[in-house]
Amino acid sequence: MKVLLAEDEPDVQLIARLSLKRAGFTVVTANNGREAIDKVGEAHPDVILLDWMMPEMDGFDTCRHLKADPATQAIPIIFLTAKVQETEVSKALALGAVGCIGKPFDAMTLGQQVLAILGR
Amino acid sequence: MSIRARIFAVIGAVVAAAFLQTMFVLYLEGERSRMRDAQSNAFLRYDSQARLVRLVGELEGAQRAALLTGDTAVRVEYEQLWTLYERAVTLLPQYIDEPEVRNHLAAMDALIRDWHVNASLVLMPAAGPSAEMVRRIDELSTPRMRRIHGSLGRFETQERNRINDQRISANTRGLQTTLQTLAIPALAVVMLLALVAFIARIVLDPLEAFAQSARQISDGNFDVSLPPASRDEIGAMVRAFRDMTTAVQRRQRDLSDALSREREVSQLLDTQRAKAEREHQRLLATIGTVPVAILIVDAATRRTVVQNRTAEALLGREPEDEEARADYWNSFSVTLRDGTPVAKGLWGWMRVLSGDVVVGEELIVTHPDGRVIPILMSGAPLRDDAGAIIGGVVAFQDITNLYEVDRLKSEFVSIVSHELRTPLTSIKGALQLLLAEVPLADPDHATLMNVALSNTDRLVRIINDILDISKIEAGKLGLNAKPHAVAEVLSLSVQNVQHLAQSSGLTISTVIEPGVPPVFVDLDRSIQVMVNLISNALKFAPAKSEVTLAARREGDLFVALSVTDRGRGIPSDKVGLLFQKFQQLDGASTRKVRGTGLGLAIVKALVEMQGGRAWVESEVGVGSTFTVTVPVAR
Repeated sequence: MKVLLAEDEPDVQLIARLSLKRAGFTVVTANNGREAIDKVGEAHPDVILLDWMMPEMDGFDTCRHLKADPATQAIPIIFLTAKVQETEVSKALALGAVGCIGKPFDAMTLGQQVLAILGR
Repeated sequence: MSIRARIFAVIGAVVAAAFLQTMFVLYLEGERSRMRDAQSNAFLRYDSQARLVRLVGELEGAQRAALLTGDTAVRVEYEQLWTLYERAVTLLPQYIDEPEVRNHLAAMDALIRDWHVNASLVLMPAAGPSAEMVRRIDELSTPRMRRIHGSLGRFETQERNRINDQRISANTRGLQTTLQTLAIPALAVVMLLALVAFIARIVLDPLEAFAQSARQISDGNFDVSLPPASRDEIGAMVRAFRDMTTAVQRRQRDLSDALSREREVSQLLDTQRAKAEREHQRLLATIGTVPVAILIVDAATRRTVVQNRTAEALLGREPEDEEARADYWNSFSVTLRDGTPVAKGLWGWMRVLSGDVVVGEELIVTHPDGRVIPILMSGAPLRDDAGAIIGGVVAFQDITNLYEVDRLKSEFVSIVSHELRTPLTSIKGALQLLLAEVPLADPDHATLMNVALSNTDRLVRIINDILDISKIEAGKLGLNAKPHAVAEVLSLSVQNVQHLAQSSGLTISTVIEPGVPPVFVDLDRSIQVMVNLISNALKFAPAKSEVTLAARREGDLFVALSVTDRGRGIPSDKVGLLFQKFQQLDGASTRKVRGTGLGLAIVKALVEMQGGRAWVESEVGVGSTFTVTVPVAR
């Protein structure tokens, strides 16, 4: 399973990448939303993990952009956010995301959480 | 003796004197009349006596003539003279009082009658003159006639002397009478003068003295010595006047005492009033300067009587019109800090006038002009001596700044926590991945890795708790309450701590009272509450012991969820501290798992946010039961 991980914080990106890799994912990383959009066509990921707050383009705009593009709108999006509050979650779901994973995430179970949201 | 009596006595005396004088005058008149009678008597007596003497002479002459002539006519004349004599001698004694004179007269009469019978009549029938006749005359008549003449002469002398004596006496008495007559008016005048003098002495003099005293007294000089009080009407008047003066003086003294007391009281009152006024001004000045809005409201008019500058700036000035005023106060919308609306008329002075004492109640007031002002309200009713509410004092402290500070603090804490959490997450993830990926030959290395990991966990928990607390305190923690079965809440909670219980060798049992209704809660936050309580219990529970979760109804509106451990219990003096921030019960045996010191504070805050309560019952050596109540779903 291939995942596109958009996270601006390098250390967090590293931990998430290693954690997902350990869970058997193929990980493509992007440092912000813009980069994620650039890479999504080439990478063809099975799922996209978007950090909520990023420079250049944040998770919100990125999600909207991806969902507006017929080529990418079918790819499930999961938000990585510190704002695991009802409003944020419902906002994310309203944008077409399939779920949210709260930050800080558990490095040992991140892969399981993604799979759980995807229902596999 | 009274003046009346004295005057009556004096008048009586005068009347008596006048009476005596009248009697005296009458007496004098009688005297005079008697004197006149006596004089008249004396005259008649003298006249009768003179006629008697003359008749005796005429009788002698007539006898001689008759004897010498023998004429019958002469004899008749003689007889007529004799008749006259007899009448005269009968009349005369009535003028004579003196007995000796009467005797003399009687003797003389006897001589004359003897002469008449024995010397006259016996001779008469012999007619014509003769020597015999002469001799007989000489013999019979002459000696007798001599004696008669002698007697007559003595009688005459006697009478003459008596008349002389009488004249002298009458003259003397006339002078006396004149003098006495003159004395009568003189005496009357003297008596009148005496009467006047007397009245003047007993009436006018004391009256004058008295009037003078009265004039002095009316000039205000009460020290005047009044004339001595005699035992009469004036004395009585003087005494009465003295009593009156004393009474007047006493009353005047009383009055002036009262006046001076009145003055003192009034001065005291003035002083007190001035003092009270100063205090009042001082108080007003104080009220005016404090940076707290203060309103003093009158209960009867429901009008603000005192409003300081701060109040004016904060709330504005209330309108004069009564209805507008009510509208004005109702146009404020007020909520508690958590947003619960406060009914109109149940805040501020309106609440205080209902008798409530409010201390530091936090309210969010939306001013009619749109400002949202967090305030601390305090207030108390003002009561009169009888306890009736006559007004109220309310103080509003604008705590916008406090809120701002609080907000900044929360924001700071939030940012700092967030900023701390990101690197910590990386550290934790790195350590976890490292520990999972890299085989460590030396077991000590693995232990060291685990120490680093568990402390990182603890640091994350502390930061999470701080974030929660700061969110709760900033009112930024949103709750998503929905109906949930109690069993769901409890089993999810137990799931969260099962691994901890197992690692500690403890068991968790759950007892749910039959019929406990679903509860209306935020599931995640309720799980957080229960996890906090269960992990707390696990920390203190002795090895191999059991921690019990229980759910039961608590009244109609709540369900009580409790966590009981068989730990060492909490001393009662520490119970109150339990739910405060950063309070941990120290002691070696309590350090098995180190908490953040925020768990119970968060529990309490979260439970209270949902309308419930949190408390603990504990007995040292037996264990503790922590209970929270959550609202029943409707």
